[in-house]
Amino acid sequence: MNFLNFLISGVSLGSVYAIIALGYTMVYGIAKMLNFAHGDVIMVGAYVCFFAISRYSLPPLLGVLLAVLLCTVLGIVIEKLAYKPLRAAPSLAVLITAIGVSYFLQNAAQLLWTSNPKVFPSFLDFGETGGIELFGGQLRVSYITIVTIAACVVIMLALTAFTGNTKMGKAMRACSEDKGAAQLMGINVNTTISVTFAIGSGLAAIAGVLLCSAYPTLVPTTGSMPGIKAFTAAVFGGIGSIPGAFLGGLLLGVIEILAKAYISTQLSDAIVFAVLIVVLLIKPTGLLGKPVNEKV
Amino acid sequence: MTNILKVEDIHVYYGAIHAIKGVSFQVGEGEIVTLIGANGAGKTTTLQTVSGLLRARSGGIEFCGEPIGRVPAHKIVERGLAQVPEGRRIFLRMTVQENLEMGAYTNNRDVADALDYVYAQFPRLKERRRQIGGTLSGGEQQMLAMGRALMSRPKLMMLDEPSMGLAPILVEQIFEIIANLHKNGTTILLVEQNAQMALSVADRAYVMETGKITLSGTGKELAASEEVKKAYLGG
Repeated sequence: MNFLNFLISGVSLGSVYAIIALGYTMVYGIAKMLNFAHGDVIMVGAYVCFFAISRYSLPPLLGVLLAVLLCTVLGIVIEKLAYKPLRAAPSLAVLITAIGVSYFLQNAAQLLWTSNPKVFPSFLDFGETGGIELFGGQLRVSYITIVTIAACVVIMLALTAFTGNTKMGKAMRACSEDKGAAQLMGINVNTTISVTFAIGSGLAAIAGVLLCSAYPTLVPTTGSMPGIKAFTAAVFGGIGSIPGAFLGGLLLGVIEILAKAYISTQLSDAIVFAVLIVVLLIKPTGLLGKPVNEKV
Repeated sequence: MTNILKVEDIHVYYGAIHAIKGVSFQVGEGEIVTLIGANGAGKTTTLQTVSGLLRARSGGIEFCGEPIGRVPAHKIVERGLAQVPEGRRIFLRMTVQENLEMGAYTNNRDVADALDYVYAQFPRLKERRRQIGGTLSGGEQQMLAMGRALMSRPKLMMLDEPSMGLAPILVEQIFEIIANLHKNGTTILLVEQNAQMALSVADRAYVMETGKITLSGTGKELAASEEVKKAYLGG
């Protein structure tokens, strides 16, 4: 029964990674850049939600919506100000800029909200136990776990439907393959990239709220480690692939929790990255990443 | 005959490299005009400048009487100018039909009609409409790239090296299709290294060499010209 408990918390943590990884992977797929500031958008989302609920006593759902809205705008603004001017620059310049944006967000958060930890409100603790008990109380699944996993599945399905069936979604896939050809089709590449950042950052806000609901200490660096883990998850699953990010996130969460439970808490991150290295050695494109077979 | 495209003394640079040195040419409505020349002469650069992917440092480009030299690439398609890029550049991970839908991105009215039209021109594409672009053969990919450009119902279609990398029998097929499209009223600007084939279908032709136009005339005149024969037709 213990194992099942660990597995469920692994899937739950993995769902948060997956939601973050989806944003990473979409931005990488379309803008061909690693947005290292993505993790810090999570932190901003969590702070916005925290202040909305704890300071201004707004209803939790409204707090989450506000966080999503602000992060969406933040994502678009970051892209416009920091990345768009570098569209033609070498990728290393963009990468360094992304790291700069990441530190900028962390330091801005420190200045605005201090580095004192905030305790994120647990707004999903209904009833006495805050969850469902199974097998006569041996297995407890908290509501936040259920909400996290459900949110992740819904988001993955929604994104798959969006990129597969809508005009904008297809334009994104076209841009991710060949921006020049996409322009020749009449697709506005800048708009498409903006929409991608908007979606990714909105998802980051949701991930931030879910993450802090499960691990309620909120500091300006809250987003950086999950951001790096989610990036790992995206690479693990095959960067650029939506189902890959989902699978990579879940696996990463499960491996991390099981390693913590059965091997060593200190070594868990090392084990996670060791697994990543082994996977990449065997399959360099990640679990679901496909090299394109180009016929000429 | 009215000019649908008028390129006037354009200069294009890649950084410090002066790639196009004052090129001028016109395409009249209903014509097939070809731009021939060796590798590196600047043919593709010229086309990409017309379609807005590159910018000319000086000179003017007019399409249907309006200047388009400063119009972003994605807005140029809307005006009726479509390009079939060099190397086809179809979306390899998308299905044939999705590729065609992308071609109709700016066309919100009659996507279904445009699809019918393209499928009528290329029955092969209809058979393969659910197949992923990357699994098509080279000839089929070229057909898809041409079909995709036709989806926007262009007034002028620019083709960049449609014969590149194709077996001779497929080259003939592609040129038959080009001649057909022309018969159906599409104006065509064709860039080719295969000068013989290009001159055989063209109404008029321009020869490019190191960023300049060195010769021009009707397709027949150039095919008969000693200079062209020596340099491009292997004789």
